[in-house]
Amino acid sequence: MKKQQLPLLFLSFILVLSACKKGNEEIDTEYPTIDVTGSAFPQQCAVIKRGEKFIFKAKLNDNVELGSVSIDVHHNFDHHNHSTEVNECNLGAVKQPVKPFLLIKDFPIPSGQKTYEMAQEVTVPADVDAGDYHFLIRLTDKTGWQTLKGLSIKIN
Amino acid sequence: MLLFSTFFCHGLFAQTYTVYGVVTDGTHQALEGITVKLSNTHVFAISDAQGKFSFQLANGAYELQVNAMGFHRVKNKIVVNGKAMQLVLKLQPHSYLLNEVTIKNNAGTERRRSESLNVEVVKADFIQRNLGGSLMNTLQRLPGIKTIGIGSGQSKPLIRGLGFNRVVVIDKGIKHEGQQWGADHGLEIDQFAAEEVELIKGAASFAYGADAIGGAIHIKAPAQPAPNSFGGEVNLIGKSNNGLYGTSVRLFQRKEKLFFDGRFTYQNYGDYRVPTDTLYVYDFAVGLHKNYLRNTAGRETGIHFNTGYINEKFKSIFYLSNTFSKSGFFANAHGLEPRRVDADLHDASDRDLLMPYQKVNHFKIINRTAFSLNRHAVEFELGYQHNFRQEYNHYVNHGFMPAVYPATMTIPIDLEREFDKQVYSFNAKDQITLGKHLLQLGLNGELQDNLINGWSFLVPAFQQKSLGVYAYDKWKVSDKLLLHGAVRYDLAKLDLFRYSDWFSSETNSGSMMQLIRANDLTRNFNSLVWSLGLNYNLDLLEFKANVGKSFRMPIAKELGANGVNYHYFSYEKGDPNLNPEQSYQADFSVAFTTGKWSVKLSPFFNYFPNYIYLNPTSAHDYFYGAGNQVFEYAQSEVMRYGGETQVKYQFSKQWSTELLAEYLYAEQLSGDKKGYTLPFSPPASALFNVTYAPQKFLGSADAYFSLDYRLTARQNNIVPPERKTAGYSLFNLQAGAKLQIGQYPLNINAQLQNVFNTRYLNHTSFYRLIGLPEQGRNFVLTVKMPFNFHHH
Repeated sequence: MKKQQLPLLFLSFILVLSACKKGNEEIDTEYPTIDVTGSAFPQQCAVIKRGEKFIFKAKLNDNVELGSVSIDVHHNFDHHNHSTEVNECNLGAVKQPVKPFLLIKDFPIPSGQKTYEMAQEVTVPADVDAGDYHFLIRLTDKTGWQTLKGLSIKIN
Repeated sequence: MLLFSTFFCHGLFAQTYTVYGVVTDGTHQALEGITVKLSNTHVFAISDAQGKFSFQLANGAYELQVNAMGFHRVKNKIVVNGKAMQLVLKLQPHSYLLNEVTIKNNAGTERRRSESLNVEVVKADFIQRNLGGSLMNTLQRLPGIKTIGIGSGQSKPLIRGLGFNRVVVIDKGIKHEGQQWGADHGLEIDQFAAEEVELIKGAASFAYGADAIGGAIHIKAPAQPAPNSFGGEVNLIGKSNNGLYGTSVRLFQRKEKLFFDGRFTYQNYGDYRVPTDTLYVYDFAVGLHKNYLRNTAGRETGIHFNTGYINEKFKSIFYLSNTFSKSGFFANAHGLEPRRVDADLHDASDRDLLMPYQKVNHFKIINRTAFSLNRHAVEFELGYQHNFRQEYNHYVNHGFMPAVYPATMTIPIDLEREFDKQVYSFNAKDQITLGKHLLQLGLNGELQDNLINGWSFLVPAFQQKSLGVYAYDKWKVSDKLLLHGAVRYDLAKLDLFRYSDWFSSETNSGSMMQLIRANDLTRNFNSLVWSLGLNYNLDLLEFKANVGKSFRMPIAKELGANGVNYHYFSYEKGDPNLNPEQSYQADFSVAFTTGKWSVKLSPFFNYFPNYIYLNPTSAHDYFYGAGNQVFEYAQSEVMRYGGETQVKYQFSKQWSTELLAEYLYAEQLSGDKKGYTLPFSPPASALFNVTYAPQKFLGSADAYFSLDYRLTARQNNIVPPERKTAGYSLFNLQAGAKLQIGQYPLNINAQLQNVFNTRYLNHTSFYRLIGLPEQGRNFVLTVKMPFNFHHH
């Protein structure tokens, strides 16, 4: 009797497992991409003038559907690091901020898009501190995958 | 129902007398979980943690019988003659056991045979042989046990893929509170002070409280020293990878009834090394100086003092402990946020501790009082804990925080976070022997007070009260069959407190205001859970099954988080309306044991109608989230299944081999992430071991040489924000011996971890997201010198 139970138990274990096998529907595991080459602006080490407007341009892509995009421009006078680019820019000396430029803005992307050309006008006030800044782009897709792009720029 | 059926049947007895006994091994160590039988009857008793058991017997002659695996059979004739009596049953181990490289002793085996949940018991010698960076790191050699690595030697337990608040850690009977706070927060447990650890895989809510939805790790109170003993031990430890050195010194003394037992542990380590010279933190290349991870050095101290009074029927023991650690965070990524560091400053020394770093102190005082009265074994535990954790970092103005830290602030400029947790606990338990029934009635109460400080915010301060009562019956139907049934009822109240920012944020209209991150919130929870199980034990075959329901109430973070976690570039948003998490679990286990073979298979199936998880959405939040991606706490239906297998084969007296394997599958069946797995799902893995244990080696007994080969599969089953992880294989070597230097025994254990300095990524590590590889080759040496003062 002892010997007969073992195979039975193994069998029931296999049955339990196989009963749970599911028809695996495809899930999205790809990150969206931010293309800051070509006509994109700003690019790594770009220089922006105070008191002027510029157009933030980037090409956004995803394999299924894009989510939303957010930009964050903040000073880098303390030489912290968010850069995702390989080549570094010449940084100015470390200094205390007085009135640093700060811009945090999120932009929805029309639904159903796999590619999107971002073009948003940004104004830099004339009275902000000049110096090294970070231009951080955060992009999500519909599933919630997020890609970061951290650019070092200068405001003169 | 079956709990109470026996109350009445066994109410009346003839005049009986108590027979007290203690089960010990050859070295007077108490043996727990040993079944003592009254020959030719169905009456039995199981020894407790102190090796004690008792019978109620009428006048007459009896025979006590112990037939424990690994020990020679003991038969002891007694005569009850009008009064209570005491006796000691001393078990002699089979001689082959001395050479067998097994981590569990027989008490553990007995415990497994009489417990319907999946239980693993490990002892101090297992910890010594497999010593890792932390207790959890050491335990992850066991199948089904993994850790969530947090970098600098800290890790959180993960049982069958469930971690954080789904695993309860019990220290000396009291729920250890602290590690649930932050994601990058370890377990403040001194592994040198852990003599025995019991791991319960699977829902154990009915006995360990609501949070034990995934399992429990029970660090047992150390055994008391033997009567009239006076001695101690010195441990020395060294590790090559991070230049760790440390010591743990123990001193104990016991007269007849009074004893003390003290221990002091100190460890000091430098930055650890990984097999790479360049890392890519969010694609940004970080060069490593001589493979050192900048600023991962640390120091730890542990102080333990136990004292108490013991006699045959009563004992009361105080356990006092304080663990302190100061450890650095990898400087180029605090959490995951990349930052520029002064490489010259950091690389000047691999032992200094600079910003960012954390300081954690855990103070604990516990009293355990137990006494036996007729058929009752009563136990009380009272505990107070204070967990104090501070994270220090240079001020960084994230989002709308002012560029320059205001001079008017009372929070220190470098205090990023502070968590101050005080916990009062109370447990009461009565174990009643009623013929073939062993009935346990219990009560657990807890009061928590949690305060926060620091210039960053994630979770509000909160207060938590909980009370649970349970009844558990173990019914020995026959020699082969044990049935278990349990019910538990819990009540809990959670109060979250209002928090508003100390700085102003820009609103949509362009005006500035201080945001209210959390409002006062009160939630009440209650739940009824149950569990049913069976053990069917034949000579060579053991079968166990358990089904049950568990519950977990949402934690403060899940209800009230409302801040930016720069470790993930995420804005974490709690949901104040979350329901308590419910779980249904079925566990099975089949074990087959002969002299040479031991095979065990433990599958499980688990279903959550509403699993709480942090869901990364496609949205960004400008106002509360400073432009970061919104991560929302959400609930979804989840199915999980998997299992572990353990196969051992003893070729000969000297050679043995072992295979440990585990598999887990998890899938969300509803919600935003339908079709995806759960975060931190460990990939399938297998561990092959070969051990050579010569009978005699250079005059030493108990020598062993052992090779572990761990094969881990790739993990492609991921959910945002995880990344796929490639498979890898690792080799670890262990060797050790017990030497006799004069009259002093010397226990030496050595390990070579990651023999080939393999570069691999651990899927369940926090730093997996920035591609931080695990520790490289590491040589670990521990020496243990027990000593005895003879006194007259």
